[in-house]
Amino acid sequence: MIELERRGIPTVIFTAETFVHDAHRSAASFGLPGLPLAVVPKPFTNQRPEDIHRMVTAAFDQVIAGLTRPVQAPRRAAPAAAGDGRLRYEGTDVLEAWDRMNQDFLARGWGDGFPLVPATDRAVEAMLRGTRREPGEVIATLEPGFGLATVEKLAVNAAMAGCRPEHLPFLIAAVRALAAPKMYIRNKAMSTGPHAPLLLVNGPRARAAGFHAGMCALGPGAPAAANTALGRAVRLTMMNVGHTTVGISDMDTIGSPLKYSLCCAENEAGSPWEPYHVTQGFPGEASTVTVHFVYGICELHDFKSTAPEGLVEVFATAATNVAQVGTGLWLIGRRADPRYKTEEKEHNTLFLCPEHAQIFARAGWDRARLQAALYGAARLPFRTLMLNKEVQAHHAAHPELRWLADHPELPLPIVETPECYDIAVVGGAAGRGAYFYGAGEPVTVVVED
Amino acid sequence: MAAITVYNPQANTVEYSVPPAARKPALDGATIGLYWNMKAGGDAALDRTEHLLRERYPDVRFRRYTGSVGFLMRHCTAEDADRMAAEVQAVVGTTND
Repeated sequence: MIELERRGIPTVIFTAETFVHDAHRSAASFGLPGLPLAVVPKPFTNQRPEDIHRMVTAAFDQVIAGLTRPVQAPRRAAPAAAGDGRLRYEGTDVLEAWDRMNQDFLARGWGDGFPLVPATDRAVEAMLRGTRREPGEVIATLEPGFGLATVEKLAVNAAMAGCRPEHLPFLIAAVRALAAPKMYIRNKAMSTGPHAPLLLVNGPRARAAGFHAGMCALGPGAPAAANTALGRAVRLTMMNVGHTTVGISDMDTIGSPLKYSLCCAENEAGSPWEPYHVTQGFPGEASTVTVHFVYGICELHDFKSTAPEGLVEVFATAATNVAQVGTGLWLIGRRADPRYKTEEKEHNTLFLCPEHAQIFARAGWDRARLQAALYGAARLPFRTLMLNKEVQAHHAAHPELRWLADHPELPLPIVETPECYDIAVVGGAAGRGAYFYGAGEPVTVVVED
Repeated sequence: MAAITVYNPQANTVEYSVPPAARKPALDGATIGLYWNMKAGGDAALDRTEHLLRERYPDVRFRRYTGSVGFLMRHCTAEDADRMAAEVQAVVGTTND
């Protein structure tokens, strides 16, 4: 709508009460605070037409006012006291001072709910020794709040998360991935869905920096401490640098424990295949961070199968979950950021345990064959895939597939192409993997000093 | 008494500015765009909006739009915005519902 205002066209947007803060923040971020809204009490989704009509009628005067009265832009407020200054906290002892810091940070919306490590001068200086970059270097402008991700701000958030200096280059790489136009982080950060950034680190630097790939790789526990800290640093960076703030610019309906921290290394030593980052075009000696936003996780349990076909059949049951938003989403289009003309296919990530990966390898299967088998096996009837999707969106995205309406029971793949299954080998020795319902495509970035 | 001094973790932001469009005091004779992002229920909201606008301004005309890219929510491209700006004098949208 702001693009229309820029072109001289008055606009007004229906906005549910719960999204008013979000709408004001978005409008201000894009440069037009005061963009007219017609506020209705509830979202239109899941409402009966007669209830929608009643809400629109009650808000109609706001529609007229929005289109006919001059826009009064409120004074722009900087998000949550951004700045370069220090904050001082006092107490009868250091623990009390630290507690006051944590209470204040929570009150300001700067924390994830767990106690934060104080980012003191000494902690930040030590963190900055983890990179050759200058503290003032801007790594990216991070949406949705268009925050300037300087090396120093990343070091501060890394320190608060409990990272070690050797983890900072991984956070820098992760932020470059988050800011890639193809990532379309604005969509994922602000959504009503539980988008959690899944981080997969690969390469020799990942091993040297202590990232864990074996038993309980996603934590909790001491072996995965580096994983936990980096995943947490990414979340704090999204909040404090990208200004992803719950209730204002993070409209997640339920929330998710995956959003606190979700990070591990690939078990390259336990994998029969080339490392994941090599499949993405990087040399094996490179070290990388891959970020894939995911909605949720499902176990891939199978102690019984000894052949690939059995495992594929079991894995396909996890994939064919139509209550998960990405399942069959290709039928109504692709995730797309019109500003950058990017489009993403919906991908899902599988963490295969080494036991299962070896079953495929012993039978001569590579990743591509497994991807193709999953693509063939994970199918649902068109009618089922469309249960929670707008028919008009299907017609808009795929006018050439309107004939599917005459074949409602025709089984269709739940993703667009076989490559929409991303496969890494992770974890310890047992027949239990993980299936991540993804949001868009993963982005892989090289870790640099 | 003890104290700790810590860094502010919040980043400064890039500021953008877009001037709002000028408004006319009435919509008589205007062509109004009704933009639906294809989230469920938005079409019903725009149906009602059209009905109420016709009652208030009998000579208004309407054009329906959606974005040319996207999935659960369809988004307006620059080309979409250019086309709408050339065809209508005001737009009501269901994009924050």
